[in-house]
Amino acid sequence: MSAFGFHGCYLRIDVSHGSVERIPLPEAVLRQFLGGSGLGAWLLLNEGQAASEPLAPGAPLVFAFSALVGSPLTTSAKFAVVSKSPLTERFNDSLASSGFALSGKRCGCDAIVVVGRAPSLSVLVVDDGRVRLEDASDVRGATCEVTEGTLRGRFGSEYRIASIGPAGEHAVRYATISHDGRHAGRGGSGAVLGSKNIKAIALRGTQRTEWAHPGELAAYSKELSQRSFGPATAKYRELGTAANLLTFNRFGTLPTRNFQSGTFEEAASLSPDQLRVAREKTRAGCVACTIGCEHIYPVGDTGVRVEYESLFALGSLCGVGDRQSVLLASRRCDELGLDTVSAGGTIAFAMECVERGWLDAPWLTFGSGEAVLRAIDLIGGREGLGSLLADGSRRAAHAIGHGSIAIAPQVKGLEIPGYEPRALQTMALGFAVGARGADHNRSGAYEVDFSNKVNRRHATLDAVRHAIETEDKAALMDSLILCKFLRGVFEDFHAEAATMLQLVTGWDATADELRETARRIVTAKRQFNLLAGWTPAEDTLPERFLDTPLPNDPAAVLSRDRLGDLVAEYHRQREW
Amino acid sequence: MLASPSAFGSNGEWAGSMQVEFLGIPRERAGVSTLEVHATTLGQLLGQLAADIPALAELITDDRLHPALAANLNGDRFVSDPQTPLDEHDCLLILSADAGG
Repeated sequence: MSAFGFHGCYLRIDVSHGSVERIPLPEAVLRQFLGGSGLGAWLLLNEGQAASEPLAPGAPLVFAFSALVGSPLTTSAKFAVVSKSPLTERFNDSLASSGFALSGKRCGCDAIVVVGRAPSLSVLVVDDGRVRLEDASDVRGATCEVTEGTLRGRFGSEYRIASIGPAGEHAVRYATISHDGRHAGRGGSGAVLGSKNIKAIALRGTQRTEWAHPGELAAYSKELSQRSFGPATAKYRELGTAANLLTFNRFGTLPTRNFQSGTFEEAASLSPDQLRVAREKTRAGCVACTIGCEHIYPVGDTGVRVEYESLFALGSLCGVGDRQSVLLASRRCDELGLDTVSAGGTIAFAMECVERGWLDAPWLTFGSGEAVLRAIDLIGGREGLGSLLADGSRRAAHAIGHGSIAIAPQVKGLEIPGYEPRALQTMALGFAVGARGADHNRSGAYEVDFSNKVNRRHATLDAVRHAIETEDKAALMDSLILCKFLRGVFEDFHAEAATMLQLVTGWDATADELRETARRIVTAKRQFNLLAGWTPAEDTLPERFLDTPLPNDPAAVLSRDRLGDLVAEYHRQREW
Repeated sequence: MLASPSAFGSNGEWAGSMQVEFLGIPRERAGVSTLEVHATTLGQLLGQLAADIPALAELITDDRLHPALAANLNGDRFVSDPQTPLDEHDCLLILSADAGG
């Protein structure tokens, strides 16, 4: 086992008994799967529970770190949360950032696997590798922020806390796990943690790993940090992802009113210009990050970090152009521990069902910010209509009937993020084939659509290899782990990734090896899905997106046959 | 209205006025959302922008955009060749290349 970068083991914690095993991780596994999502996929497969119920005690929940965590490389303080999703019942990996990653790795492990169910609502405390359960009744029902503050007060400021909000306690299928205001957001990992009767995980540790070439690593890291201040990251630093909203609206790719249109007449009111005019903002960033992408807008007495996905999902997708409502809705999702994309997508779906007379909730109308806020609260507490919506748009559609599944904006059960598939057809392919469902983080295919490589309104088979490249690159970044906002800084990402691994681990890693590693990781996710019951019929888009032009852009049509051809070509090139 | 050094292209032909629309960081740098520019090619247009808007100059080199930016013609196709012909009826959108999140 290389002595550099890794501890060479993981902790397997059974919260039914508060017991812990320290299990060795072969170097071959670490080299083949790296860390983060890759290591999480391997551990999940190794647990052999792909066919189990996601919320059953035996279902594993993995927190995976990597060799780069704790190094001076910018954006490397990240961790992956990997499990079977209660929303999709397929593979799910979500990432979050900051001190929890550093503390987790300092517990002397490369990953933590949690199984079992605690006898009562508990805090799982991992103290330098020693494990115990503590009562969490005093934070039952508390928001993520309150939980974290309370527990740091109880255990000490050296602890780092990841917690669920009320949504996770109520098993909302898209509940998040939150740390320091950032969320492992998609796919419902918060519900998985809640099903184990764990309100929060508190970590502290002292065990650091060594680096193979510390002097060279420091020099390389410094140079990379300097590059991270340049034009490639300017958008994130100066405007945040909120800048996407006007761009997408201009291109007719801004999902509006449950994907009924690609333009929103009130888009300008949600743009960074207007958010800035309406409120002062501040910036923040994760630990060990030089980009500082977080733009925080005051709302009430507090602040809310707003990303494009929240602006679209709680704004244009629900027909809401009122800035205050969207900021409040985003803030409320953070408090409850809810994925904003799935929350907005499910609410928007319900709004259209009301409009069509399929759902009796006359207050839930497009354009009503008040309705969005009310729906979010109902979902978070699983009350009334919220109990239906807490299960996501796919399950809600099956319950509502009337053929509403045709307009449920999801793939494999995961609600579609803010990219209109008919006008971004390489992205449409990425959505259809993604292991965890419709996802813009696991497939960066929209970058292909926003380039001269393809015709975004008429994807041909040429687009497939580009989609695969972005998927592989995302898998590699999620396993190294590095923030994708850094991606534009690299001229040759694979070569530089190999350099980073050489300097940290001492491995003679190469760019070609890492390309192969990326493909292996994507295949591992597919392997898990096969064991979980995946069928080819899942790799598609809802009826709404097929054979019908986008109303605001008649040239944007994705035929069922063409999507089928693209998907088939994807499988052929993947050699699956 | 952006005043062009010459309303004629380098080959002496009349360079009609076309619209440039800025999105994202280019808008932030330019300080405006739209401009009218006289140009017959993409390279000529970018050269004029670099000359007339200093805040954009660091993002334009040798009549080409920095890789962090992209140019799209009429919302239809992305263009990068400085020799790309432009018509007075065209609208060139200049945006951040990483359009997503």
